[in-house]
Amino acid sequence: MTTVEVKSLRKSYEDFLALDGVSLTAESGQLVTLLGPSGCGKSTTLRCLAGFHEPNGGDILVDGESILNVPSNRRQFGVVFQNYALFPHMTVAENIGYGLRLQKLSKGEIATRVFDVMKLVRLTGLEDRLPREISGGQQQRVALARALVLKPRLLLLDEPLANLDARLRDEVRWLIRDLQQQSGITAFYVTHDQSEAMAMSDMVAVMKAGRVAQFATPREIYQKPTERYVADFTGEANFLTAQSVKPVGEGRYAVHVAGADIEIDGVPGLAENAAAELLLRPESLSLVSTGDAATFEGEVIKCAFLGASLHCEIALPEGGRLKLTAPPNHAVTEGDRVGIAIDLSHVWLMPEVAP
Amino acid sequence: MSTSAQTFGGQRHVNLGFAILIFALYVFLLVPVVTIVGASLTNGLMIEFPPQGLSLRWYEEFFARQDLVDGLLMSLRIGAITAIVTSAIAMMAALAGQALSGKLAGMFQLGMTLPLLVPELLTAVGLLFFLYKIELGKTVIGLQFGHILMSFPYAYVSITAALRQVPPSLEEASASLGATGWQTFRLVILPLVTPGLAMGAIFAFINSFDLYTISLLLKPLGGNTLPLALFDFLTYEFKPTAAAAATISIILSIAGVGLVQKLVGLQRAF
Repeated sequence: MTTVEVKSLRKSYEDFLALDGVSLTAESGQLVTLLGPSGCGKSTTLRCLAGFHEPNGGDILVDGESILNVPSNRRQFGVVFQNYALFPHMTVAENIGYGLRLQKLSKGEIATRVFDVMKLVRLTGLEDRLPREISGGQQQRVALARALVLKPRLLLLDEPLANLDARLRDEVRWLIRDLQQQSGITAFYVTHDQSEAMAMSDMVAVMKAGRVAQFATPREIYQKPTERYVADFTGEANFLTAQSVKPVGEGRYAVHVAGADIEIDGVPGLAENAAAELLLRPESLSLVSTGDAATFEGEVIKCAFLGASLHCEIALPEGGRLKLTAPPNHAVTEGDRVGIAIDLSHVWLMPEVAP
Repeated sequence: MSTSAQTFGGQRHVNLGFAILIFALYVFLLVPVVTIVGASLTNGLMIEFPPQGLSLRWYEEFFARQDLVDGLLMSLRIGAITAIVTSAIAMMAALAGQALSGKLAGMFQLGMTLPLLVPELLTAVGLLFFLYKIELGKTVIGLQFGHILMSFPYAYVSITAALRQVPPSLEEASASLGATGWQTFRLVILPLVTPGLAMGAIFAFINSFDLYTISLLLKPLGGNTLPLALFDFLTYEFKPTAAAAATISIILSIAGVGLVQKLVGLQRAF
């Protein structure tokens, strides 16, 4: 049971500020994902946690104690790397038993614990193979077993699925999540894949240029992002400029947008007439006939059949475009004038400039 | 149809030209070896090829000559010590070189290969003065120093190349599993660079066995390495004994390479 508190962590290289005050927390047993594009500082944060990088400022507290002065080999954190980092000259069993061997345990005990963890990650029978003789998915499971067999205080995963093909990715992803939850181990997970982040995490930190743009649950970062960057990174999004913003309650606003007056939720604390924009996820919009039910009207300019759904792009007369998904058998073609109904409970108002 | 036939024809010409070139190269590389080995087996009194009859009499003659055998033993001893000491120092230097980054790393690399770039004679003269200064002039230890210095870059380059093949994440993984720096080196790095290390040791040995200039200047009183003894010998006698000595060197080199192949596999060394 481990809690982690990362406090305004800073890391700079000669001419590059990699981390500019990163703050995060992980409760015991949580899986916290660091999500962002390459170069946003997510891997650097993880490497500071692992002890491979020394931060220039800030602190990392594990169970309330700073670990910055503890070298990586005494932190007792399991690390799983993107390229697996298996020792190529050791067999699968030797790789997994490496940490136990360093602890000078007896051969018998090492063998038992290696066997148990191999069963857990479903690798039984591959004990004597070399890493190059097994598949990528199996290699990543060996890496996972090698970390877990030591019962680490914290599990750190650096894009563990990036080198696997789509089918394996799914399989290993659920294995990681299952094992993490079963053992109740606190984990940090780095990825640039938003669907991976949403599916696995208890908490997600969306990172941007060395800072945490938003740290919240997957649901919140998707439905209630604090800025456009987060909304963009977490999925398909439409934005419309909101006019005459008027607070009507705590985090509730009346706005005029694309010719319609609506009342919606938004980031709390926006002032009257603040520059703000509306986030409309494609699935919160639906096609209706023009008329009363429609909030907006527009012209279909693109329509693609994707099997399970139709993806349409609609141009609004006031300017602006909306992407939406419709049921696959909806009769609509390019050039049609259509009405769009919006699910107001899934629309969100955000400031135009990040706070 | 006709164009593809032409292409094939053209390719055949290219392949043929390539084969001739490779053949010529091998002839160029192997003729001296074949000639000297052949000449050593002669029954005649002169170094000549083809040999006049076959015999091992010149090998007998070689092992009967105390000065040549002494030279061979000295070269073997110095070569062996050079191989061991050089690869140990070069291993440490390669690790240090890897830990550096940026401009410093480039300068370090250059510094470590300097003995290859500076003319051997210059190094030898400098070393001669230096060794006299520290009272090791004309001693075996001084000569040993010279050989280690001259052979170091070969071992360094070979080990550095092997070390570069080891992904840095392996060291990180090892540390995260609780290993100290020394444990990581012993259990992960060393086994992975062993082929490069062995290759470096062989390079150092062969280079040491072959050094002439530096041996000439630094040789201890009353001691000769094989190349020096051989040159002295050839100055007065032009007998196939020299060819026999050369053949013995060749056999030793092949044995060394064979040993590496047997122990660690040459293809892994590059």
